[in-house]
Amino acid sequence: MAMNNNYKDLEELVTHHVDSYDYMVDRGLEVMLDNIKPLKIHDSFTNTSLSHILVINLINPRLYEPQKEQGSTKRGALLPFECRQAKLSYTGRFEADVCFQYQGRAVIREKINFGHLPIMLKSKLCHLRGADPQKLTSLKEEAAEMGGYFILNGLERVVRLLIMPKRNYPMSMVRSSFRDRREGFTDKAVVIRCVREYQSSLIDQSSVTVKLHYLRNGSARLGFWIEGREYLLPAGMVLKALVDTTDREIYEKLTCCYNEKYSKVKGAVGSELVAERAKIILDEVQDLSLFTQHDCLQHIGEHFQPVVDGLENETPSNVAHTVLKDYIFIHLNNYDDKFNLLIFMLQKLFSFTDQTSAPDNPDSLQNQEVLLPGHLITIYLKEKLEDWMRKAKKLVQEELGKKNNFNFLAVQDVKKVIDKNPPTQIGLAVENMLKTGRLATQSGLDMQQRAGFTVQAERLNFLRFLSFFRAVHRGASFAGLRTTSVRKLLPESWGFLCPVHTPDGEPCGLLNHMTCYCRVTSYFDSQGLVKDFFDIRKSILNVLTGLGMTSSLPKLVQPGPPQVLSVLLDGRVVGFIRSSEIEKVVAHLRRLKVLAPSLIPGDLEVGYVPLSIGGAYPGLYLSTSPSRFIRPVRNLSISSEGGRDIELIGPFEQVFMEIRCSDGGNGGRSDTFPATHEEIHPTAMLSVVANLTPWSDHNQSPRNMYQCQMAKQTMGFSLQSLPFRADQKLYHLQTPQSPIVRTSAYTKYNIDEYPNGTNAIVAVLAYTGYDMEDAMILNKSSVERGMCHGQIYQTETIDLADESSRSGAAQKMFKRSNIDKSLHSLIDSDGLPYVGQKIHPNEPYCSVYNEVTNTTRTNNRKGSDPVIVDYVAVDTKNKKYLQKVNIRFRHTRNPIIGDKFSSRHGQKGVCSQLWPDIDMPFSGTTGMRPDLIINPHAFPSRMTIAMLLESVAAKGGSLNGKFVDATPFAGSVKKSKGEEINSEPESLVDELGNMLKSHGFNYHGVEVLYSGVYGTELTCEIFMGPVYYQRLRHMVADKFQVRATGAVDQITRQPIKGRKRGGGIRFGEMERDSMLAHGAAYLLHDRLHTCSDYHIADVCSLCGSVLTSSFIQPQKRAVRDIGGLPPTSNASKRVTCHACQTSKGMETVAMPYVFRYLAAELASMNIKMTLHLNDGLEA
Amino acid sequence: MDGVSYQRFPRVKIRELRDDCAKFELRDTDASIANALRRVMIAEVPTIAIDLVEIEVNSSVLNDEFIAHRLGLIPLTSERAMGMRFSRDCDACDGDGQCEYCSVEFHLRAKCRDDQTLDVTSKDLVSSDHSVVPVDYSDPSDYESSEQSRGIIIVKLRRGQELRLRAIARKGIGKDHAKWSPAATVTFMYEPDIHINEDMMESLTIEEKKQWVESSPTKVFDIDPVTQQVKVVDPELYTYDDEVIKKAEAMGKPGLVEIRAKEDSFIFTVESTGAIKASQLVLNAIDILKQKLDAVRLSEDTVEADDQFGELGAHMRGG
Repeated sequence: MAMNNNYKDLEELVTHHVDSYDYMVDRGLEVMLDNIKPLKIHDSFTNTSLSHILVINLINPRLYEPQKEQGSTKRGALLPFECRQAKLSYTGRFEADVCFQYQGRAVIREKINFGHLPIMLKSKLCHLRGADPQKLTSLKEEAAEMGGYFILNGLERVVRLLIMPKRNYPMSMVRSSFRDRREGFTDKAVVIRCVREYQSSLIDQSSVTVKLHYLRNGSARLGFWIEGREYLLPAGMVLKALVDTTDREIYEKLTCCYNEKYSKVKGAVGSELVAERAKIILDEVQDLSLFTQHDCLQHIGEHFQPVVDGLENETPSNVAHTVLKDYIFIHLNNYDDKFNLLIFMLQKLFSFTDQTSAPDNPDSLQNQEVLLPGHLITIYLKEKLEDWMRKAKKLVQEELGKKNNFNFLAVQDVKKVIDKNPPTQIGLAVENMLKTGRLATQSGLDMQQRAGFTVQAERLNFLRFLSFFRAVHRGASFAGLRTTSVRKLLPESWGFLCPVHTPDGEPCGLLNHMTCYCRVTSYFDSQGLVKDFFDIRKSILNVLTGLGMTSSLPKLVQPGPPQVLSVLLDGRVVGFIRSSEIEKVVAHLRRLKVLAPSLIPGDLEVGYVPLSIGGAYPGLYLSTSPSRFIRPVRNLSISSEGGRDIELIGPFEQVFMEIRCSDGGNGGRSDTFPATHEEIHPTAMLSVVANLTPWSDHNQSPRNMYQCQMAKQTMGFSLQSLPFRADQKLYHLQTPQSPIVRTSAYTKYNIDEYPNGTNAIVAVLAYTGYDMEDAMILNKSSVERGMCHGQIYQTETIDLADESSRSGAAQKMFKRSNIDKSLHSLIDSDGLPYVGQKIHPNEPYCSVYNEVTNTTRTNNRKGSDPVIVDYVAVDTKNKKYLQKVNIRFRHTRNPIIGDKFSSRHGQKGVCSQLWPDIDMPFSGTTGMRPDLIINPHAFPSRMTIAMLLESVAAKGGSLNGKFVDATPFAGSVKKSKGEEINSEPESLVDELGNMLKSHGFNYHGVEVLYSGVYGTELTCEIFMGPVYYQRLRHMVADKFQVRATGAVDQITRQPIKGRKRGGGIRFGEMERDSMLAHGAAYLLHDRLHTCSDYHIADVCSLCGSVLTSSFIQPQKRAVRDIGGLPPTSNASKRVTCHACQTSKGMETVAMPYVFRYLAAELASMNIKMTLHLNDGLEA
Repeated sequence: MDGVSYQRFPRVKIRELRDDCAKFELRDTDASIANALRRVMIAEVPTIAIDLVEIEVNSSVLNDEFIAHRLGLIPLTSERAMGMRFSRDCDACDGDGQCEYCSVEFHLRAKCRDDQTLDVTSKDLVSSDHSVVPVDYSDPSDYESSEQSRGIIIVKLRRGQELRLRAIARKGIGKDHAKWSPAATVTFMYEPDIHINEDMMESLTIEEKKQWVESSPTKVFDIDPVTQQVKVVDPELYTYDDEVIKKAEAMGKPGLVEIRAKEDSFIFTVESTGAIKASQLVLNAIDILKQKLDAVRLSEDTVEADDQFGELGAHMRGG
């Protein structure tokens, strides 16, 4: 096929997954290890001399490619397809060096094996990295394999992208829960989620959220969490502890934002109250009689000494330094920077309480970023390693306490003790985290949720698979929330999250999908090199100072807005720019972003919040950080020659930018705010899946939503590497087609490699009534010719080693019984089925021989449909006998009545009849019979005009022999310069209609049809044309549930429930009510009694008990009968009442068996139930 | 049974006759007969098609059922079909439907031994009966194309893949499965009767005439270049879409043209799949229709007769 056989565009859709993992491999792990605090162990028992202090730290992490390992010998590369088939995990060995250093001696390095870490597919350590489609197919992968997921126990799992609060940005928030913190708190606070950075801007991804609460008395408290407890410090104390300064200076710094002259001017944030509050803050500290930095540090240190572990022996001021370093504004290393940021936050808080600035919305994408797989693994790994180190210390100390011959000075001895807590557990812990999506952690990692971090990437069809990588979840904690405000579609997410592609129902609005152009920033620059944030920031600062920014120096007091705006670079107050110049600076920065990426990185977010009256707090917020959303737009100030005008913008800056649509108009913009940017194409606001709906701009919007959901449950061409897969369930369409009507995204993303439907000739008419209420009639002959044929591939994995380990050490193997020859037609001599063999329900498909008991057992097929053995794969690895097999079954799933189909416009329907060809209406001129008939009532209320357009266009397209482009919003794109504007007015309908007309068809797409049954002309013309139809995975064969008689419940003798076990469908209370309402007493009796637990009980009329009846032994009677006497009436009764010791009063009564059970249950509680019998005549 | 005779004598006029296509007029009858003929042609004229496939080796990319289904859809030359027995009625073989009277055996052996993809086509099917072979669509008059045309592709094999199977073709009808349908398309239309109101037409300007003529998507009318008069070129191209009538009304000239469908006159188009010749298809259909009518007539006399029609019984029971 002459397709563009490179999958660049597809690969780009998952780069955020792969890049984040690559960074972890390249640098992230090393940075993370550096950030783990070295262990210090004192041998306090034997000696206190200096040489008895041991420092242990980890360095030099090494992660290896997945290898087949056996003990320590490597046996070559472990490939992903092998993992999938053998249900293994695609993991690579993870090692690091432990450095032991006794004080004053040389460092001793020891290699330590931390087990295996899962390797992301197509990451730097994956064997598929850089392989071209040809190579990939030779490695038994998809030609279009994109990677980005993990293989764990043979299952493909993706890390779910989670929304996180934007890092290093102080956000003002109102939350009523803040008020309940402690007495005197208000509901207002400024919150900042800081991500740890150390030395030259190395980021290890762990974050600590700091909250600055506003108190009713005008003061502020700085809140942060240590080990699951929240601590609140007076803001003044922290300020003083950070910098050795005077109260005067703090006062000046805090109050600089207020100037009487500008108090009513636009953009003023301060008020006269600020001065009072500053005084209160300072007085608070004074009241505690803390005057100097030293006093404050001492106070903090004493307070936290028992809380922070490992610092029991440190001086209070050291403890205080640790707290300041590790818990307060951890993204900054410099105390001056922390001080400045706290001042800034206080000012923002005060302005926010004075309502001179508005609160930030934490639900808006503006204040959000995303959690990437590499980052999640890094922080989790860090936590696990820290735990391990802590445990190691405990173990060594315990050993020291034991006073045995443990030599503290011998590294080998120490290592042996440390190894008691096996380090390989760490790899396992990470693997388990990815397997279950659950974090097993004490601290919570500053995360809102504990579970749901990973999901299985089902390959139901390609679109579903793709969507897993593009999905962004708001967080599990929001799913249970009663309020719906988090689910709202906010204008801030324009261009980043698709407004159409979200499921309806429970996760609506929480599970969003990124638009097709949306990307996530990474640690790699455009050349693929790891970014050096130190250099980047330095370069940005140079540019800024060149543009007239005054740097923030410790002693310098600057006025606040509206004269001067603070500049924050990644949460650090770097300086101030005069508001008169800021616009110029921003414009210049944006130009440099595009034109000089070496100076200013292309993905820098220039978050310029302009001065406003009561709007967002003004300032210039620059961020270079990774894991921000970005998307490309055109910068109009740069000429579009050579496509060099593409600027990457983020959701924070977008809100304050003027971006116009690319239709050539100004979008109703006033001249005071001319557009500075332009969208690339209107379809950029849609996700990949939403982009595939033809002419979605002509549909009612909920229909497009439904289509996005249904596209993901379509039974399509899920995989090309089908023979090498062992997925539990795979749906497969036998003869898929490429849609005649398609959008530009279809070609861009090579969806032709994974087509999802069939071009069916659809007639819209009410024919025979079998197409009422969204039912549809299929042409039986079309189906017989192969339309919508499909299969389900289902793999059964049988691992005998697993089974035998569970049930003792009995050696089991696959073998068929030589005695029972009846199985030989189904099972081959190796105990496994013949490939191509048809197996009916309850027939055996493999036979297992147990050596110990010398018995063979067969595994029988469950389910209700016959299957065909498609494939048998055996694991021949180093075992005497076969132990592990994959048997893949093929279920044929050709369309039958009850199967679900849908067009690409949210028009789903169920097949209600399969009419033969001759009964379908036919066209007099062409003789065409439709493949499918749907009811015209499907259209008026749903308004899926695009489906009608598709029908007409596909008809024209097939007559022309050309595919028709159905990209939505094509009319809203500026015509390229060549085309005149005169040709504009021709509408889409006109274009399509004339195409039909030129081929001798009706302009409106209708045709005269004749009844297939009578041969007479139908009274009206019928709209007919090809529409791309998808077959949905919901099929009756998997769902039908019928029974007449069958299994019953042991206790109640009522029919059991559950389709799998052959149970019935409950005839419940509401059904009972309706029967009663109809007076259908016989039917009710039939359902609830005769067909349920009908029972004839023997009741003793004397004592009225149902329970005391007992059977008389028949032998006794037999002995008595010998005499030849006629049997007495007594003797003929086989039952007798045990209580009355007679059978005189025994009667039979029909009753539900549960009633008898109820009597027994009551009896067990010492309640007797008595029945009074009469024959109904007296009553 | 006395009374007025409603007997009609339908006439057939053949217009065009090719192997795969026939066009004829059917006159002096009504829609029920025309439609019955159409339905019989599609669903009840027997052909031979592969019905049972025993796969020995299949290492191709397509699964067994897929290949079996594809084989079934290959049209086989079925001139013999009318004389053959249905397997279910065959008494020569004991029910397995594999005797020479009711079945034809096919073999297919293909293995790809070189690096080039091997196309397994219908030509690779080896028949046990020379009269029942896959339909050859290549034009015998064209030497060059017949070299290239390799029949209907069943599956493509790459190096090392193999397909070996035995297939049994049986007689059947399209009602049972579409693969037995000999007709690709059978359609008929009522012959249109077009009357142009010449006086009114003359009141139109040449420009209006042109517009009116062009309003029909098919070229039913044309303007005589000499006389400037609108004339009917080909009434049968008219699709009853009423476009010209609507146009006339829109122009303020209702009744400009009057179009009626002749209730007793039909134009048939029959396209064959190639299994039997289009002409034979029509004849066979008429035969079967007659047999069915005979069955109706007979069953009127004797109730028991129902079971005695042999192959016709199936037709009757089925419909």
